[in-house]
Amino acid sequence: MKIIRNWPRNFWRWIRQVSGDAAYENYLRSTRRIADVAHVDSRTTQAGCCSTHATSSQPLTRSEFYLDALRRRYSTVSRCC
Amino acid sequence: MKSLLKIILWTAIALAGAGALAAIAFERREPLNAVWFVVAALCTYVVAFRFYSKFIAAKVLALDDTRATPAERLEDGHDFVPTSKWVLIGHHFAAIAGPGPLVGPTLAAQFGYLPGTLWIIVGAALGGCVQDFIILFCSIRRDGKSLGQMAREEVSKRGGMIALLAVLAIMIILLAVVALVIVKALKESPWGTFTLAMTIPIALLMGIYLRYVRPGRVLEASLGGVALVMLAVVSGQWVNASPAWSSAFTLSGPALALAIIAYGYAASALPVWLLLAPRDYLSAFIKVGAIAALAIGVIFVRPTLEMPALTRFVDGNGPVFAGKIFPFCFITIACGAISGFHALISSGTTPKMILRESHARTIGYGAMLMESFVGVMAMIAACALQPGVYFAINSPAGIVGKTTEAAAATISGWGYALDPQTMSALAQRVGEHTLLDRTGGAPSLAVGMAQIFSGTIGGERLLSIWYHFAIMFEALFILTVLDAGTRVGRFMVQELGGHVWKPLGKSGSTPGILATSAVMVGAWGYFLWQGVQDPLGGINSLWPLFGISNQLLACVALVVATTILLKMGRARWIWVTLAPMVWLVAITMTASYQKIFSANPRIGFLSQANVLAAQISSGAIPAEKIAVTQRLIFNNRLDAAVTAVLAAMILVLIVEAIGEWIAILSGRKAAVLHESSYVATRWAEGGD
Repeated sequence: MKIIRNWPRNFWRWIRQVSGDAAYENYLRSTRRIADVAHVDSRTTQAGCCSTHATSSQPLTRSEFYLDALRRRYSTVSRCC
Repeated sequence: MKSLLKIILWTAIALAGAGALAAIAFERREPLNAVWFVVAALCTYVVAFRFYSKFIAAKVLALDDTRATPAERLEDGHDFVPTSKWVLIGHHFAAIAGPGPLVGPTLAAQFGYLPGTLWIIVGAALGGCVQDFIILFCSIRRDGKSLGQMAREEVSKRGGMIALLAVLAIMIILLAVVALVIVKALKESPWGTFTLAMTIPIALLMGIYLRYVRPGRVLEASLGGVALVMLAVVSGQWVNASPAWSSAFTLSGPALALAIIAYGYAASALPVWLLLAPRDYLSAFIKVGAIAALAIGVIFVRPTLEMPALTRFVDGNGPVFAGKIFPFCFITIACGAISGFHALISSGTTPKMILRESHARTIGYGAMLMESFVGVMAMIAACALQPGVYFAINSPAGIVGKTTEAAAATISGWGYALDPQTMSALAQRVGEHTLLDRTGGAPSLAVGMAQIFSGTIGGERLLSIWYHFAIMFEALFILTVLDAGTRVGRFMVQELGGHVWKPLGKSGSTPGILATSAVMVGAWGYFLWQGVQDPLGGINSLWPLFGISNQLLACVALVVATTILLKMGRARWIWVTLAPMVWLVAITMTASYQKIFSANPRIGFLSQANVLAAQISSGAIPAEKIAVTQRLIFNNRLDAAVTAVLAAMILVLIVEAIGEWIAILSGRKAAVLHESSYVATRWAEGGD
């Protein structure tokens, strides 16, 4: 019953993810997660040198992120025959 | 009790699939219903996914969910982004599904429904899905490296260069052939040309909206764009009815080819946000929607397949393209069964976003099964047409004649009854002046789709709108492939050109962008022009060339996969990749040999050139046509040379790989894998 009740909301979320509409929210979540992991790593290793994650001080704006994502996507094979 | 039920269920599914496949293969008494094809395909896919892909995942690859994927270890929010498998399978499917699984099966329907359908279903389960899955796995284990990089590291340095050149060659031929498909579908079609032309300002509007008004709000921009495109499809009928507008949008084949070449150049050189990206969003939405609608329509309408299981053209003299079932059916249907191009997507963005290794099974194997189902749908739509109608639409005028009467007489003479009035009436019903000489597969597929759609919604009244919707849908995502392919090809040319002259390699240099775009567009534009001028319709020579290059790329992917399996110590399981590889080498080498050396001038490039040269020598060609004929001779020799170079490259790679395999198996060489080191995942098991 719960699955049926939540179906429209889950479907909408899925559509937003698949279409790329939620890409910026994903990016912000990702940068927060990276910052958290970097913080934990720096505390456990004390030197803070062993994280493989990229860290950036200031996240991109929505507009900057959109352009950056397009540049990345269309510089490699992204569509098949 | 539970396991007994499972056994009963899986036995029932397997028996249903086997029964449906047997009906497709052996039933000859009456035309088959499409339901048999849907049941055969779905049951085979379910069994293949449940058992074969699970066996590959567990025994061959030993997928390890305790191992952190690149998306976890290298997460950067840009390229490496952990993504749910149900979202990623959507991305992956949208990336691999192009015009290939629609056009290839439509063309191969000239042999009848049987050879193509069996190849699509079995080829995907045992070949295409395996390739996509294993290459995805290999790339995940190598931080998302590309096929070329893996070939260089795991096979040989030359292997990497061969992969790069093969990709560039396939890209050029692919873009030419898909552009030719659009030209053949839209020539002398004001409604279709108007609709497609309108997608350009619509995409520009969307681009400006997404860049300046609501950055990155893809969903709302795409929904608005789709609504405008539908409006353009509907208003095309008024353009068609107006003499002034109709004549403005009625273009000949050469004029359309020039327009597409100019468009390709502009789309490659313009900023990506302005035209390419919004068109891609628009096309992805319409593509997925139209494919889903076709699947629902086939199940709802349950059309009867009018095409016989095997036609008389299994003898190799088919009007759509020349050549026997072996090898030509298997290179004509590439995407839909196995496509080397998929290996580029499986070693592109997908491995950088995968959350767990086990998801590679659903995404790599599962998405290819979905693409195979698209191929089956296209086969159903093409074979639901009366065979006479199918051959009238897909045969070049050079073979069946230029008038409806001549075409009907020729095709009826082949044993497929066709009334001249039927073709004129059908053209009128779909809002076209003529449907003759529309080689390339797109128009016959559109007629088939329109009949299925109008059987679901609107009936006869909406047939012409559904036809133009289907044409727009095919042309729209072909143009997207053209935009994106030209751009990527431009980067490749820049990379190669940078070695010769450094400024050319700078990605931001305007002269460099303009020059390399011109090189790329000039390369595919040349082949497109050659196809437009070809009296046999162009598809006869270009589609096999595309099929050969695509399947040769699949050979590269399977060579890399086999080498990696050997190095992983899985020699006893290498038949999983070796068997499809041997099959592909056999079909591509046979096809290459026949395309170059066959004595039949409709198959062999060189014999076609020789026939034309002899006609010039004997004075059979009028003086005003000698220059054109000489160009045709040159084009045939060029096509032969391209085929020979592609085949030679792959033979070199295979010889090198076999040397490597023997050295590893005999212990003369240590098996050095270039995998990234094991890092345990930080994430809890079972996450999605």
